[in-house]
Amino acid sequence: MSAAATVGALARREVRGVVRSRSQLYSSILTPLLFLVFLGNGVSEGLQPSSLQAGNFTAYLVAGTVVMTSVFSATFSSASYYRDRDSGLLRMLLSSPNSPRTILLGKSLAGMAIGVVQALVVLLAAAPFVDFEWQHGLLPGIAIAIAAVVLLNLMLTGLAQALASRVQTMQGFHLVMNLALFPLLFFSGAFFPVADLPPWLEVLARLNPLSYAVDALLLGAYASSSEGFLGLAQDFAVLAVLAIAVYALGLSRTPRLTWSGQ
Amino acid sequence: MSQLPPDPAQRNTLPRTDASPTLAIQTRDVAFVYGDRRALNGLTLAVPAGGVFGLLGPNGSGKSTLISLLAAQERPPEGQLTVFGEAPKASLRRRIGTVFQENTADPLMTVFENLHLAGRLFGLERSLLNSRIPDLLATFGLSDRAHDPTATLSGGMRRRLEVARSLLHQPELLLLDEPTTGVDAGERRALWDALIASRGKRTVLLATNDLAEADTVCDQVAFIEAGRVVTAGTPDDLKRGLLRESIRITWPGAAANHLDELRAWPETGTVLVDADFVHVTVDDASAFVPRLFALAGPSIRGITIHASSLEDAYFHHVRGSSGAAMSA
Repeated sequence: MSAAATVGALARREVRGVVRSRSQLYSSILTPLLFLVFLGNGVSEGLQPSSLQAGNFTAYLVAGTVVMTSVFSATFSSASYYRDRDSGLLRMLLSSPNSPRTILLGKSLAGMAIGVVQALVVLLAAAPFVDFEWQHGLLPGIAIAIAAVVLLNLMLTGLAQALASRVQTMQGFHLVMNLALFPLLFFSGAFFPVADLPPWLEVLARLNPLSYAVDALLLGAYASSSEGFLGLAQDFAVLAVLAIAVYALGLSRTPRLTWSGQ
Repeated sequence: MSQLPPDPAQRNTLPRTDASPTLAIQTRDVAFVYGDRRALNGLTLAVPAGGVFGLLGPNGSGKSTLISLLAAQERPPEGQLTVFGEAPKASLRRRIGTVFQENTADPLMTVFENLHLAGRLFGLERSLLNSRIPDLLATFGLSDRAHDPTATLSGGMRRRLEVARSLLHQPELLLLDEPTTGVDAGERRALWDALIASRGKRTVLLATNDLAEADTVCDQVAFIEAGRVVTAGTPDDLKRGLLRESIRITWPGAAANHLDELRAWPETGTVLVDADFVHVTVDDASAFVPRLFALAGPSIRGITIHASSLEDAYFHHVRGSSGAAMSA
């Protein structure tokens, strides 16, 4: 059997696991939508921000919510590594004739696919309630959003996989992921524009990989012009390089069955 | 098992039989370390192809570590280890089925789905799996639970599922690491009946600390302690030389002078003290027991007499030679 068949079997198993874990499935979709509804409407109506188009913070927040959904999804998907290790399944997977890379590829590709679907569901679910500009047209705009989401999830899955292979406990893994990704979310333009921030924060935003995903999503769906944004060419160049590099790093880590304290 | 020299100092030295077609497993001076703990310490073993070979020893003696090395999940930093004449590697796992000490089924998936996933990982086509899985489920009495999540199975059923999974790709070598842990007597019998039915088709390496079970099912055994093989042979070989009957005396706080006197009696064989129990081998318990009660009757709480078993052989060979702290 080819490695592709092994990857397919593992990917189906991962997807089946998420679908059967109903609470995880529903909360991963509902949490960002509730976030969008309450925070978006609260800020739009309560603070009436004048720097946003028509003061519509909900529409602005969609891009950030999609990125946040991807962050959560990558975290949950990679946490399955710990469940598999603790349930013993990982030992069975690694006793098969496949290389650890093939096992990781199957698990992580499924995790990435789940993250992409969840992010796109959030994007689609929000669409009827906000006025997107689709400045490049509806279909190209959707293609831009899908491409950005795919690259973002590839990068986040690789990062989560790399961390999961090094952090001993699931609790520690969640802490490290939150510690690494929440600051990045704040300085990515997900919740507020970074163009008018103080220079030092703007530098941080430029160094932040999530900024490029948010920028591409905003340019694809929300913005009426490219002024004040990083630009799609730069967004996709950075995202593509980082996604491939970080995902390759995640695959290069051999999963551990046991820990000896190092 | 090839004949090992009787001298304990030489027991771990095997004659050169590299790439012998009759050996399924051969190890020579294998060492493995977890942190500061030496799990295997110069382990030398030869397992012939075919039959059931028991690897017997207490918890922590290195049995599971050896299974991991044979399943190519770890590499030995020292020594040589071959399976079917090759160093363990991923591709060799197609010829090996492994039942680990812990359960490995995905609790979110059904029994059938777990077997199907395992089969696909071992390169089996869907059509083959659709015919083979029902046969295995029937063999191991799991047909009516095929579409239940494994989380709902009893402990014994999960172990049977583990064994069924290990046989799915019809391996030539089956590694069983305490496969009947937590399994009740009835299920244990069913499991072994199914395994023994396939005897002759493959080599089975059974790692266990259940000596009675090993005595029943193993053609040959090796006693392992502290990461080394202490001795090996057929169960009858290992029991040979033992006195005919084994007496387990419940004797809390057995006095040293009583034990010394008991050892001095000509009919007494091995005497081992293990917590509140004293194990003695004799040829004729009917003569020994009255004499024992005359010596220390008031302090003796109970006596069990049985024919000498593999457990007695274990105490004789392992505890008798290296377990000085266990002996009074």
